[in-house]
Formats: sequence, structure tokens, C-alpha cells
Amino acid sequence: MTKLMLRATIGLTALAVAAPAFAQDISFWSWRQEDREQYEQIIAAFEEQHPDINVTFEPFEAQNYNTILSTALAGDSGPDVMMVRAHGAFETVAAGGYLMPLTEETVPGLGSLPEAALAAETLSSDGQVYAVPFASQTMLVIYNKDIFDELGIEEPSTWDDLMAVSQTIEDAGMFAFANGTATAWQNETIVSALGSSIIGKDFYNDLVAGETDFTDPRFVEALEAVQEASQYFPDGFVGLDYASSQQLFASGMAGMFAGGSFEIANFLGQNPDLNLGVFPAPVAEEGDEHLVGLFFDGGYAGNADTEHPEAVQTFLSFLTTPEFGNMFANELGNISPIPGVEFESELLQEVAELNENSIPYIMLVHFRYEEPSGSVLLQAEVQRMLAGETTPEAAAQAVTDGIATYYEPFQN
Amino acid sequence: MPRLRLTGRGLWITALIVPPLAVMVTFVAYPILSALAYAFYDWQGLQRGDFVGLANFHEVLFTEPFATWTRNAFVHNVIVFFSLMVIQNGFGFILAYALWRELPGAAFHRVAVFLPVVLSTVIIGFLWKLFFHPLFGPVNQIFRGLGLDFLAQPWLGQSSTALASLIFVNAWAWVGFPTLVFLAGMQRIPGEILDAARMETDSEWVVIKKIVWPLVAPSATVVFILLFIGSFNWFELPYIMVGLDGSPFGSTDVLGLYFYRTAFGNQSAGVQDFGRGSALAVITFLFIAIVAAFWTVRLRKREIQL
Amino acid sequence: MTATSAKAMTYDNKGILSTLGRDGLLQVILIANTVLMLFPVVIMVFSGFKSNMEIFNNPFAVPDFANLSNYIDVWTQTNFVRYLFNSVFVTGFSLLLILVLGTMAAYAIARYEFFGASFLLLFFIAGLTLPLKLAIIPLFILFRDLGILNSYWALIAVYVAMGLPSTVFIMTGFIRSLPRELEDAARMDGASELRIMWSVMLPLTRPAMIISAIHNLVPIWNDFFFPLVFIQNDALKTLPQGLTSFMGEYTTDWGVMFAGLTLAAAPITVVYVILSRQFINGMTSGALK
Repeated sequence: MTKLMLRATIGLTALAVAAPAFAQDISFWSWRQEDREQYEQIIAAFEEQHPDINVTFEPFEAQNYNTILSTALAGDSGPDVMMVRAHGAFETVAAGGYLMPLTEETVPGLGSLPEAALAAETLSSDGQVYAVPFASQTMLVIYNKDIFDELGIEEPSTWDDLMAVSQTIEDAGMFAFANGTATAWQNETIVSALGSSIIGKDFYNDLVAGETDFTDPRFVEALEAVQEASQYFPDGFVGLDYASSQQLFASGMAGMFAGGSFEIANFLGQNPDLNLGVFPAPVAEEGDEHLVGLFFDGGYAGNADTEHPEAVQTFLSFLTTPEFGNMFANELGNISPIPGVEFESELLQEVAELNENSIPYIMLVHFRYEEPSGSVLLQAEVQRMLAGETTPEAAAQAVTDGIATYYEPFQN
Repeated sequence: MPRLRLTGRGLWITALIVPPLAVMVTFVAYPILSALAYAFYDWQGLQRGDFVGLANFHEVLFTEPFATWTRNAFVHNVIVFFSLMVIQNGFGFILAYALWRELPGAAFHRVAVFLPVVLSTVIIGFLWKLFFHPLFGPVNQIFRGLGLDFLAQPWLGQSSTALASLIFVNAWAWVGFPTLVFLAGMQRIPGEILDAARMETDSEWVVIKKIVWPLVAPSATVVFILLFIGSFNWFELPYIMVGLDGSPFGSTDVLGLYFYRTAFGNQSAGVQDFGRGSALAVITFLFIAIVAAFWTVRLRKREIQL
Repeated sequence: MTATSAKAMTYDNKGILSTLGRDGLLQVILIANTVLMLFPVVIMVFSGFKSNMEIFNNPFAVPDFANLSNYIDVWTQTNFVRYLFNSVFVTGFSLLLILVLGTMAAYAIARYEFFGASFLLLFFIAGLTLPLKLAIIPLFILFRDLGILNSYWALIAVYVAMGLPSTVFIMTGFIRSLPRELEDAARMDGASELRIMWSVMLPLTRPAMIISAIHNLVPIWNDFFFPLVFIQNDALKTLPQGLTSFMGEYTTDWGVMFAGLTLAAAPITVVYVILSRQFINGMTSGALK
């Protein structure tokens, strides 16, 4: 921290000295209002190396960022550099032609990033990369280590282990899972966090190849598993919203939380004394591969109409370096996809290792491009299933039928 | 009738009329007419694309799954309207009658029943959301305390109770409005008419039916129509209490939520579509306008006959 | 009060017992209803003085009112004061414009005969039935083009447009009922039209202005939908909108949430309790003629 402060000070001083003549001002928009301080440090580190470039960080509220950004871009008042989402939400911005296409030549370092990360920021219509991917999110199970230690239980490996562990926690008078389903999108994360290993890579590959749909037994089986696990959710979990379930876990009243890696920072923020661990979705049978659900959160893009294309490219290139990656991971607690990043937090290090065996967070990555989006369908159907008003088979069928209205491979 | 000339008086009248008129034209007439026009275009984010005729309307009304979603939301609006008509207005009438007797404490009761009406729906929504919390909410705590454990339900989480819970909260918040409108109507009934009626009959029920209700009816008309418009514009309360998706699985979805979700997108699941959103807005708007106009005319006629 | 005594006299003759029984039942209904109305509000205020544990274990217990920590948290750690200021400013400015513009239109329509006057009145009143919410998309684009998205002016413009119809309606009715003699006398004395309006007529319209102001005050003060769409900057949020982000941030601390709800409800509740008669008249005025 102090080192950073020192660096920031040097950076600012250097800037003050070097800035006058050739300074190029570029603006940088973000939806991370809460990360302002850390981003300013990152920018200071960049400006120290490039005294001729002046980056101004302007954060907006996340909820409405997309609307603000697309309005600004359409009205020619967009920023030089901006955070954009990934996958479907990225396409709506990129397809408008507002973003600068990026290559290894213009942005050195881009090529070193993992394939899957770049794919998240690639426009499907022209195959071009339009943003430097910045973080991945992992769907897994977060657990309270103190509760596990106290009860003498270990991270479950198979589904049966998970059920046994849940029973033990419940017998001890605590909630096994803190999860509730009243907030629609939680249903999607629960399926990925608990079901990814059962869903499996084979199913995912067949699905993408257009050879199967969601009525495939491998997917239905995952839904059945989630349904089985829900007996260990709190009483009245159908009425428990996202905030309440976070609260149950953070206050130490529950043993596990099936959700995203983005919860870790949140839980520790609410209760710094928590001793957390993570494990991937349990497997159906010993020997199967343990998998987590993975998606990329967003990327940094350049404005195609910027007045300072070279400064923008220089800055974007900096955002691919391990130097940035380390700050991004350790100051902001994110899982950076940049190779060679060293995580100070053991927990993040563990998440990063789990990411090596993953399948994508399917709906967000592949079926959030058109309405009815796979996410809308899956969220509602799983919510319905966990309320006991539909079966896993029927839920899978409804999801498939909804997507089939516009997705050809499902239409036969 | 003097012609409007832009001198002296004419100029003065113009000066008075133009600023307010300009506001209405710019911020009411123009946006509403534009909403109508927008529904006929294809949209890419905030960029207007090609003219597509009735395609958006066709999607919203006839293409699956949108048609089912539209119907589902519409049916919920209808349920909300009729339930509130019975609970909110019916109970409001009883309360108004009770207040009208000017029993001891009436002034206090009057202030109390109207208090939630002045509170923001946001406050009311959050308050009741906390009250309905399945584990810690006071509602379930009361039921458990009374030994009525079977009533300690996740009220907002079950498709069988979620909409009813929202309707209850709405009635709680708004019952004061019909109550005091009806009360004002009752207080205007001349004493002589009532005395004459009570000479004729012993039954207070007959007095209510033959004298009180017909004389209160004109204000009731307005209350009914306001409730109708309000029910079909329902947004804030469900938005705060169950979220944009009409959780659980669309069982509380109403046109307002569905419209907002379609037009502005749902951060955690959906795609934004101004075209279909505008089509929904136009359909909702036409429905409200036609029914409200038709109803006003009919009810007014009936009042005259009475 | 005379009506009551007249009623009482009538009842003396016929079945005093049944009247008493009925009134007893009505009194029970009133008391039960008042308890139902006030109990949640009282629990809200009480819970603002409690910690999570106290709320979960003894939700209905009377708290230690000296424990102000939740309220202090809300006041100092959130933008509450800022939201309050924004709400006061936006509501106040909107009401001012509504009254000025509404009175102008109503005065012209009510006091002068000119071609199209009744059509104009209809045009304004039609606005009463149009749900402006459904025109949110064109309004959004219009404000974007005017460059007033994310500013007070977007809200004020919408609120003035929303408030004008009812104000023109209430004010026209009232101004029409004012006697012509005063105006004619002033005209005889050679006063200008502006002077007649300003010094003779407007002072007489004060009761109607108060009714119009209150009629619009509550919906504008409480509005949540328009800021939700138009305002993104935290520093410009109004109280109901700010409350939603606040509730999102403090999800785990029920005491602070209840304290926030109580503080958010306080300003309008206090004004309402002091001016309850005017509030009730003002808010029900649209439904009564």
C-alpha cells in the first residue's frame, strides 16, 4: 500500500514536471464507482511510465452505465477509453462500429491473453477483438471454514459427499446453504455453481456444436441435483432475496453459499472475520472432472473516433501487462486473466487455479444475444422448479423451446 | 365573441396561454405521439432503425413467448384492479360511513387512515418487504406468536401468495383515499334529505342504498377511474417488493414491469428493445384511454338517470 | 355538528339499542383499522432504534430511544442530506412553476372569452388521463437531445407537465366562481389587465392555490419512476431514489434500514400531521366537484 502511495506520488510529480508540452488527455469511463481510488493509483502508475499521456477516470453508476454509454457514443460524446461488458451486452455496443478494433500489432500484449478471455470481447460478425478483457467470474461454492472445522467436515468431492455435509450442518442447527431464490438471477448462478461438474465439458461441446439441446439428460441431471440440494436451503428460501441470503452467509448463520467469486469481496467486506474456502461443483461419481462455471465480466475498449489513437493504444497495452494485472488482482480483488499474475490472497489464487478446469456460464456466454434470452428462461424455470411447480424435464424443455424460437440448431 | 388579435387584449391572452401550452405540447403531447410513432420502428439500442410497420405489435401480441408474457402481465393487472376495487374501495366505503357518524375519536381515525397515502411507495414497499421476510419478518413472527405457524409463509416467494400480498400492501397504503373522498361526499348530503328518508324507513341499509350511495356516486366514478388507471400503471410497488422480473417466475408480472424490462433491459438477464417496449406502451395506453373514456360516459349517464 | 344532533334526535324514537350496537361495531372497525394503519409505522420507527439481534428476537418491544446510532449512521454515512435537498429543490421549483403556469392558463380561460377557450381547457384536462410514464422512451430521447438528462431540469420538466392539468382544472373552476364586480370596478378605474390580475384577482385565489400545491406536492415528492430513468448521478438523486440505493447498500443492517425509512418518511409525515385538513382536501380535490 505505502509502496503504491509512493509510486503514485512519484507518478504525479513526474506528471507535473513532464506534462506541459505534449500532454494528450484521454478520458476513461467505468461503471466501478467503488473502485475509484484504486483506478487512480493504477493510472498514476501508467502516467509515471508515459508522462505525455493524461488519463482522467470517470465512473458512473453500474445500473445505468450501458444506457449512458450507448447514448454518449451515439451522440459522438463518448470517452476515449471505456469499460465495456462481455458477450451479449458487449455486442450491442461493438456492433455499432463505435469501438477501435485491436490487434497484437496495435496493442502489444493482447496476444498473450487466454483465448477464452479474448473470445468474450470478440464481435461474432467480424471476428475482431474490440476490448482488452479484464476479469473473469467463477461460479462455485463458497464455504465457511470455521463451521466446517468445528463440525469436523471436509470439502465435498462427490454429490453424495455434498448431501452428507449439508445434513451434518443442518443437524448442528445451522443453515447448510444460505441461498434463496426470490431474486431471479440467483437461480442461474446456483445451477452453474452446483451443477457445472454434472453438466460436464462433453455436454457443453455438443451443445455448442449444435448436436444437442437443454433436454439432454446431462443437463436435466444437473437440474435434478440442484433440486435435491434445495432441501438444504433455508425454510422459506423461495421468499429469500439475494441480499437476505448474502446476509445469512456473511453473518455466519450458514455453512455454504452457491454463487459467484464476486461474492468473496462482498462477504469479507460485510464481515472481515469470516474464514472462507471455495470448492468446485461436486461430481456425480468419483473420478469425474471437477468443473467451475466461468464467464468474463468485461473489457477495456478504445473509441474508434478518438483524437489520440496512439495514446489510447498505449494505455490499452498497459492494461495487458502483469504489472497492471497484479494491481488489479490484489488491490481490487479480481481474477485477472493476464498470465503471470501473482495473487496475494490464497483464496483468489485457489479460484484462479480452479478456473483451469471450467465450462462457460452457458446462458450468459451463448444465449444472451436475443429475446427471449436463455438467462430469462432458465432463471424463471429454475425458480419455478425449486418452488415445486415444475419438473427438471419440463423446465429443460421450456428453456429449449424458448431459445428455439430464434436459434436454429434447436428447431428440429 | 371577439376575435383574437395580437394587439392589446389578444396579446395579453396569448402571453398568458402560450407558456403553459408550450409545456404541455413539448412534454406531454409530443412524447405521447412519438411513443406511438416509435412503436413502428426497429431499434438498435437508442438508435432508430427501419420502419417495420406493425411488426413490433405482432411480436408482442402474437409471437411466442412474448404473447404469453403479455397475456400473463395483462391478466395480473386485471386481477389487481378487481381485487382493489373490492378491498380498497369497498372497505373505504365502510370506513367512510363509520367516520361519517362522528363517533368519538373520528378526527384521529381520519388522520390515521390517510397517513400511508402521503408516504412514498418506495418507503411502503421496502417496509413491507422487510415485514414479509420469511425468516425474520414481523408478519411471520406474529403468526408464530399466535400459534398460527401454518400461516408463517414466504409470502412474497410463492406464486400462490405473492400477488395477493402486493395487493394487500397496496390496499393498506391507499384505502385512505377512497375513504376520504366518500366521506366528503357523504358530508355534503343535506340533513333534511336524510331525516326525511329515516322517517320513511327503519332500515339504515335502505338509506345507504337509496340515498347515500346515489349521492356519493359522482365522486365514486372518479375514484374508480383513478383506480383503473393506477392499476394498469402499477409499477413502483412490485418493482420494489419483487423486482423487475415479477418474481417468482412471472407470477407478479404486470404490464408496467414488463414494459420497463423490455424497453430498458434487465441487467442480469435480458436484452433491450425500444421497439417492442414502445408497442407495449401504446397498447397499454390505448387500452386505458378507451376503457376510461367509455366508462366515464356510461357512469355519467347512469348518474343522471338516478 | 348540527347534523349529528339532528341524527341523534331521530334515533331517540326508533331502536336506540340497534343504533348503539351499530355504532359500537363501527367504532370497533375504526379502531381496528387505525391500529392496522399505525402499527407498521410504529414498528418502523421503533426498529430504527434497535440492533439486528433486537429486531429479530423482540420485534415488537419498545426500544431504548437514547440509542441513536442507526440514525446517526444514516445521517452521516450516506448522502441522505443531499437527497433531501434535491427532493426539496426539485419539488419546490416544480410546484412554483406549476402554480405560475397553471394560474396563467386558468386565468386566461376563466376570465376572458376568446376563440378556442373551451377546447384549450379540454386539452389541458386530457392530460389528467394520460399516463406520462408510458411516454418515458420519447421523453428520454427528447431530454438527451436537449442535453438535460441527468439534471434537475429533466425532472422539473416532467413534473410541471404532470401537474399542469390538475392545476388548470382546479384553478379554472375557482377563478370562474369569483365575482365579476371587482374586476369591472378596477377596469373602470383604468387599471391594466396585468394589474387587475396581479393585485385584484390573484390574492383571492390563494385557497385554490394551496389546494393545487398540495394536490401536486405528494405525487412529486414521492415520485420514483422518473428519477429512476433520468438521474444517474448520485449527487442529483431524490429521496425515494436515493433510498433505493441506500437500501441496496445496507441490506444486512435492519436497524439502519428502518432508520433510513423513518428518516425518509419523516419530512412529509410531519407536514401532513400539522396540515392534515389541507392535505386531505388537496389530495381528494381532483375527485370532488
